[in-house]
Amino acid sequence: MASEFILEMNHITKLYGSNAVLKDVSLKIRPGEIHALLGENGAGKSTLMNVLFGMPVIHSTGGFEGEVIFDGQKIAIASPMDAMEKGIGMVHQEFMLIPGFSVTDNIKLNREITKAWPVSKLLGKDLEFLDTKTMAKDARKALDDVGMSIEEYTLVSGLPVGHMQFIEIAREIDKSGMKLLVFDEPTAVLTESEAQQLLDVMKSIAAKGIAIIFITHRLDEVMNAADSVTILRDGQLVSSFPKAETSPEKLAALMIGRGSESVIQVEKRKEAVEGGVAMSIRDLWVNMPGEVDKGISLDVREGEILGIGGLAGQGKIGIPNGVMGLYEAIGEVELFGQKLPLGDAGAALRAGLAMVSEDRRGVGLLLDQSIENNIAFTAMQVKGSFMKKLLWQKDARAIRRYAEEMIKELDIRCTSPAQPVGTLSGGNQQKVCVARALALDPKFLFVSEPTRGIDIGAKQLVLETLVRLNREKGMTIVMVSSELQELRSICDRIAIVAEGKVVDILKVDASDTAFGLAMSGVKSKEGEGA
Amino acid sequence: MSEKTKEKPSVRSRIVPIVLFILAGILLVASVSGYALQGTQESKANLDDMRTSAVLHAASEGLINSIAQQARADKLAELRKDKNFRKRGLDEVNEICDGAMNEARAEAEKLYANPVVQDKPALESAIIAYETALAASGSLSQDERAAYADLYIQLVDNISDWKALAADGMDDDAVIAALGKTAPDLLKDENAHLRAGFVRLARDMAVKQQAKEDAESQNQLLTVLATAVPDWNEYAGLDKDALWEKLTAELPEIAAGEKFKDALLSDALARVEAAQKGETLSAPAESEAGAETVSETQADYRYFAATEDLAQKELAENAAYDALYAQLVTIIPDLGTLSSKLQGTLRENIEKVLYLEDDGFSARYNTYRSQKAEPEASGAWKLNLASLAQNLLLAGIAILLLGLVVFFWDPLTQRFGVSRTIIALFFVYLCLLAEFYNISVRMMMGNVLERMSMYGVLVLAMMPGIQCGIGLNMGMTIGCISGLLGIVLALQINLVGFPALAFACVCGAVVALPLGWAYSKLLNRMKGNEMTISTYVGFSFVSLMCIGWMMLPFTNPKIIWLLSGKGLRVTHSLLGSFAHLLDNFLAFKVFGIKVPTGGLLFLGLCCFLVWLFSRSRLGIAMTAAGSNPRFAEASGISVNRMRTVGTVLSTVIAAVGIVIYSQAFGYAQLYTAPRQLGFVASSAILIGGATVSKAKVSHVLIGVFLFEGVLVFGQQIANSIMAGGGLSEVMRIMISNGIILYALTQTGGGRRA
Repeated sequence: MASEFILEMNHITKLYGSNAVLKDVSLKIRPGEIHALLGENGAGKSTLMNVLFGMPVIHSTGGFEGEVIFDGQKIAIASPMDAMEKGIGMVHQEFMLIPGFSVTDNIKLNREITKAWPVSKLLGKDLEFLDTKTMAKDARKALDDVGMSIEEYTLVSGLPVGHMQFIEIAREIDKSGMKLLVFDEPTAVLTESEAQQLLDVMKSIAAKGIAIIFITHRLDEVMNAADSVTILRDGQLVSSFPKAETSPEKLAALMIGRGSESVIQVEKRKEAVEGGVAMSIRDLWVNMPGEVDKGISLDVREGEILGIGGLAGQGKIGIPNGVMGLYEAIGEVELFGQKLPLGDAGAALRAGLAMVSEDRRGVGLLLDQSIENNIAFTAMQVKGSFMKKLLWQKDARAIRRYAEEMIKELDIRCTSPAQPVGTLSGGNQQKVCVARALALDPKFLFVSEPTRGIDIGAKQLVLETLVRLNREKGMTIVMVSSELQELRSICDRIAIVAEGKVVDILKVDASDTAFGLAMSGVKSKEGEGA
Repeated sequence: MSEKTKEKPSVRSRIVPIVLFILAGILLVASVSGYALQGTQESKANLDDMRTSAVLHAASEGLINSIAQQARADKLAELRKDKNFRKRGLDEVNEICDGAMNEARAEAEKLYANPVVQDKPALESAIIAYETALAASGSLSQDERAAYADLYIQLVDNISDWKALAADGMDDDAVIAALGKTAPDLLKDENAHLRAGFVRLARDMAVKQQAKEDAESQNQLLTVLATAVPDWNEYAGLDKDALWEKLTAELPEIAAGEKFKDALLSDALARVEAAQKGETLSAPAESEAGAETVSETQADYRYFAATEDLAQKELAENAAYDALYAQLVTIIPDLGTLSSKLQGTLRENIEKVLYLEDDGFSARYNTYRSQKAEPEASGAWKLNLASLAQNLLLAGIAILLLGLVVFFWDPLTQRFGVSRTIIALFFVYLCLLAEFYNISVRMMMGNVLERMSMYGVLVLAMMPGIQCGIGLNMGMTIGCISGLLGIVLALQINLVGFPALAFACVCGAVVALPLGWAYSKLLNRMKGNEMTISTYVGFSFVSLMCIGWMMLPFTNPKIIWLLSGKGLRVTHSLLGSFAHLLDNFLAFKVFGIKVPTGGLLFLGLCCFLVWLFSRSRLGIAMTAAGSNPRFAEASGISVNRMRTVGTVLSTVIAAVGIVIYSQAFGYAQLYTAPRQLGFVASSAILIGGATVSKAKVSHVLIGVFLFEGVLVFGQQIANSIMAGGGLSEVMRIMISNGIILYALTQTGGGRRA
């Protein structure tokens, strides 16, 4: 063996424009080890893997700095195909299987074993026959390796998702010369027993000398299966060490980190909010694609700012969308003691709710319309404000007056209230969304990912506005965000959602460990419980 | 973005406009010098010389032609006398005759082609005298004829019952008074000289109408004979009087037809005869009354009378011609040998040279050139350049415009959009081309205005559809058919005038309501495929109603097929009902353009109402639901309900639109006629700058103007380029469908912004 490590990625730096998403990250993996790669959303895991696989998105944005040494040789990987030929495989999070083909066909797709016959000798390899027997034998062996008992000739369509994950793995290990396999959150869709089986399969693969990079959020799995751990945070390498030296609590703390300071300085409330219950959510199930909720129960106190955090795809965004009636939902929601019908946005708005959507350009704005029309729209439709008495006409003057007031108050940078919002920057668009919600004069405000994709100045302004609304007008606010730092800087309490359920409700000054554990679905002692 | 746009245009978009500007500059300078040359004494004198030789050429050519034709005819007569004439082939005969003709022509040319002018000043003054006289009478005559044609068209287009106007025994004054109700201008003093003619016209029309009605009722009675008698054998052996008595006794309808006794009797006898042989005669053919050809009314000048002033001027003109003719005879004595018919032709030819509607320099030059008048060799290029001045100017402007558009391409397209810029440029080019081909731009502008008021409301119907998110509502034909139903209902109950128009609109709208509602329910189930579905629904509804028009129980004989007694005819004339009612309401003329005030006002009113709606709470909600359904839903708006509102509105406006369209057209056309209207309307609004997801009232107005403008001008110019034959019709179809195709490519492939 040429070197101790099968893969060395040294001092990788990747810039998107002027924005560094990877800063001097190194990763070293020994043959036959399971190496867990941990980090929050946006920590740089996917980018690092994209670099490893030579994805077009890396090359088209100016490449990267640093070196990749694979199997003792410095290499430049041109494309995912190139990576595969060199012996690097990937088990995808989304299944890349063809439903109408059999398990064997899927495993052998594009690597079919063929037999020659006279015509193919004349006209080329494309016309050779499939050697179905050998293919079936190979597929069987791969399936046995991953511990699957299903027949190799079954069609993939109709198989449970767990099986598909294993077929995906079987396909990777069937490839000869495989030296390194990347598992991207393989257990996210599996049941507990399937997950356990998968970990066993990983271990047996590793035992054959194939190295594994294991990307996951579940700390218990890391403790169970991994040999060593690398943690990334904000594009930087936090730490890299053998598993034996660590504990879940330590991992959680490292993942969250208290590295950066609060985004804004807000005077903390001296006493905890002890108002009555503004909204009580009981057993809420929301069918929002990618953000499914499976039985949320939560109480929001009157006059507080409640944060809802958690990793992407775990269901935190489903909560406001479900309550506001934008996605199919069942369960019971009471607002100030009144039962709220689900699935009816109009009723929710009339009841005094308002929401700033996370999908600013899709749900939040009419991009080709003016700022003033956007601000006035919902209030006009729901409450009939900004209307003249004659002929049901809109009151353009009242709208202009209100819009100008809002532009001043929220510091919306624009040429005039008539400027189309599509031409504004992200931050200013977000302010228009907030202004639109405020035009409803709501008693209760949902704010979903308010700082996504906007610059730091706008971020501060949006957050300050939320605090001011809360303190001055006593508005109850629920803020959903992936940025824990933001939640910690303005919220009174933070609920953490994982796998569609509220895991824990924590105080803002709870430890990083508690937050980290809650995000991976483990309740800690510090929380008040859900 | 700004960095890229700054780098790219440096080479191409700077050099191209500069080259164009230089080219345009050269052309404009040439044109200006051409115009300057037109003013010089030298050119004027030269042109006058050309005029003299053109007149002489016209005269001598007439004589030469007549001699040559005469020689040919003589030769033919000679050949005919020959016994062997019939044995010769046609080609051979032609060859011999042509040979003789050419020989004679060559000889005549030697004699007459270059007439020697002795007294040039006398000839010239005679020419000028005649030219002046022609100009005086010509323009007056034209004005009077135009005034006459106006009145004529007003009367013929709007009067359907001439019999009532000019019944037997009514005196002339009564007829005039009756006509004056339709055309008040007729009662003005300046038109007094025309009255007698129009009285004659009214009486002639009454006679014609009577004849037509007689033919129809006779045909109907013949049909009764063919169908109502079970067995003709019963009538066998009766003589004429007995047969008539028996028929009138048994068939009361026949009794009323005393007038047609002869025709009916001879038909009956023929049927008896046939029955005895065991045969049955078929029923008479359906009269063609239902299938009137739809064409524009042309004035008939047989009823024209000149004013005294004009008559005098015409006398002066005759005298001037006689003087000129005397001069010409002194130069070419043999002119006197021409027959009187050829004398007439000669006068016409000379008139063509001397009386030009457009007496600009280049028109004169070209006319003289066509009479083989050559300019003096030394000044030829100057005259040539002078005559080209106008064309050079047009070409210069065209290239200058192109250069400007290329130069300001980015700001222009950002402001107006690519398609609007290109179509507008195309339209301006068509105007320049029209000027080049000497087509009256003014007249065509009038035409465009008329068509705007005709199509405007139909195009407006597209707007709510686009706003509510169903895209281009090709299924607006559903509304059109509702409107047509309203029209035929109005005809069924014999309504006329504004009540008929209002009834048709309201009735059409009421029918369109439930249809539009059902149609919108269908569209709500087919989100994302609306264009396909609406096109299909539009087409199939037209086909369905082809059956419907046949089955509906209409009974008014004016609108149903006469023979079968059921089913609506294809084309219904709205004369006497509400044809041109709106367009003539408050209509006036500016610069010779007729402005269809009522139609345009109504279009304005409709646009205003739609604009008001778009500012109402419901309208705003509908627009939002169309442009961003998820946004609308998040604001508690039912997107499906908004789409229904928009679709119903579009359908109802289309119903009103087709009534206005038929009103302007003068005819209501059923069956497959409304099928293409959806394409026309959607192209117009797209050209106006709308997209499949966004439309404003301004898009409707600009679009209908540009679309109709390009169509009207394009057709006229195609006609001038390919005069005659079927090619211009092919061009017409190519242009209109080409615009539609271009407009549809601008939809951005169904992308929703």
